Amino acid sequence: MRISELLRTALRSLRANKKRSFLTIIGIMIGIAAVITILGIGDGITQTMYDKFGNNAKQGQQTTEIYYMPDNENSTVSGFNQQDMANIDNQFGGEIRRVRIEHETANINTRADLGDVSKNVTVSLLRAAPTDVKLVAGHRLTANEMATGQAVAMMKSSLARHQYGTAQNALGTTVTVGATTYQIVGVYQDQAEYSMDGGQNKFGASFLLPKDLYYQGDTASSGNTIKLTFDQGSNAGQISKQVAKYLKKNGSAANQGSYQYEDMEKELKQFSSQMSIITKFISFIAAISLFIAGIGVMNMMYISVSERTQEIGIRLAVGATPFNIMMQFLVEAVALTVTGGLLGFLGGAGLAHLIAPLLSSSIGGGIHIHAHITMTAFLMAFGTSAAVGLIFGILPARQAANKNLIDILR
Amino acid sequence: MIKLTNINKYYRQGDHRFHVLHDINLSVDQGELVAIIGESGSGKSTLINIIGFLDDDFSGTYFYEDHPIHDYTRKQFSHLQNQNVGFVFQNFKLIREATVAENVALPLLYTGKRRREIGDRVTAVLDQVGLHGYEDQLPQNMSGGQQQRVSIARAIVGHPHFLIADEPTGALDTETSQEIMNLFKRLNRDEGTTIIMVTHDPHVAAQCERVVKIIDGRVVSDSLEVHHADK
Repeated sequence: MRISELLRTALRSLRANKKRSFLTIIGIMIGIAAVITILGIGDGITQTMYDKFGNNAKQGQQTTEIYYMPDNENSTVSGFNQQDMANIDNQFGGEIRRVRIEHETANINTRADLGDVSKNVTVSLLRAAPTDVKLVAGHRLTANEMATGQAVAMMKSSLARHQYGTAQNALGTTVTVGATTYQIVGVYQDQAEYSMDGGQNKFGASFLLPKDLYYQGDTASSGNTIKLTFDQGSNAGQISKQVAKYLKKNGSAANQGSYQYEDMEKELKQFSSQMSIITKFISFIAAISLFIAGIGVMNMMYISVSERTQEIGIRLAVGATPFNIMMQFLVEAVALTVTGGLLGFLGGAGLAHLIAPLLSSSIGGGIHIHAHITMTAFLMAFGTSAAVGLIFGILPARQAANKNLIDILR
Repeated sequence: MIKLTNINKYYRQGDHRFHVLHDINLSVDQGELVAIIGESGSGKSTLINIIGFLDDDFSGTYFYEDHPIHDYTRKQFSHLQNQNVGFVFQNFKLIREATVAENVALPLLYTGKRRREIGDRVTAVLDQVGLHGYEDQLPQNMSGGQQQRVSIARAIVGHPHFLIADEPTGALDTETSQEIMNLFKRLNRDEGTTIIMVTHDPHVAAQCERVVKIIDGRVVSDSLEVHHADK
């Protein structure tokens, strides 16, 4: 008998018992839906983490950073200078697309002299006029002031009030950071140190200074962080590790501190492996539900076989082989479970898309988790449900095939 | 065509062994219309199940054309059964949820034919049994006589070499019985189909050219042999 005919026959007899068929597949639906929901959200969270903290794999290139930590915290030695850059370029030029010194621009901890008072403050560096601050007194740093290299700065209002009583009083005073003395031209309202999505907020600093003035001379060509840029597909973590190792031996300040490469990707991998443990655990529970559902299918198939003894007899009498009969019942069982599996897949995908925004809003902090339903998840739902049908359908189907025709017809 | 020699058949029920058929010897030639008559429990149904390749649990020899049926396995049976025999049962044995056309098409589907290849053949046999235009009816909405016609249509759709009919008129009234008998006779005369039927009904048996009587598992009379004896 042709497969198309087998399918037709199976679907017709399932339709003849709509309610029973539906009840039987509910278990499969719930099991598959649970797994798909968990997988979808778990993959979504992992994906969000990678997008946010991964080596920017998304933008077609990857970047990593190597830090220099001086042994003496107060030392002013820089870990990287132009010679180091040239050396790295020579050694690893084939694998690294670009290497440059990364200057910190946000919330740098430093000492500053306000008039004759010396304080620990944080400063953020600007390249363009700040628009995201709310002005309390004076004016914002202008593009013109930046371009012409004027030593001007802005101060946050709480510090201004603390030091000079009012924001107005702070205007015209000076602050000395490093070797440069800046004149305060504006006071801005305080902002939180961290932004909504958990990153640093550079406008949370005490002072806003022009970047070009802060890094000049030696400080402009050296620094404590370098940024490596890789082409898509290269093993960024591995190469960065080699660069750090090379620097430990040959770096310009290797004897006064250490070069460190922190592999975010590695931590992310750990995170995602933890996620997959959770996923596996929940899948295990879902597997129990699938097992119970499978027993339901088996039960229903046994009932069906005994109800349809006459039909089996008729089919055998008109020339069906026992194998034909077995296939017919097996196809029925698989059709049941696959239908359940696909419905469960749709339900699970829908549920994951519903839950993900709820989860994002309960976490807050501007993190957006999108449910991530993969092709693998689809194939898994399809494969698992088909397998349940085969496993739990084979015994009833064999019983149907082994019926004694003479006994049926008597 | 059919040659049974020394067929014995036992049923086992618990510790008891019933000897159902005793040394049956029977030959049927192409084109015969044979009635097997006998009391209930005389073993006539058992006999035609053996003839129709439904039962392989017997001793003795059974040659169908050149096939040694007594040596065949069940798998080889189904094939032979599908190609060579059509069955007609007392209670029709149609699949209730399937339409007339689907019921009639079943034997052809099991030989591996496509649905659209067999539409014409199904229509033709339905015409032959006088059920023109009944393709999409459900059997449960039809009268007993009509259902038996569907069953006959199903039996002959695959051009079988012979028909086995187990009390084909047992569930029908006299008039309908006669219609079904006329149909059998026409098939036998016009198409040359060999028909072996079991019946209780003396009127039905009287219309068959050969009557075999079985009592307690033994052939006690065969009109053909009587005929021979007369010569």
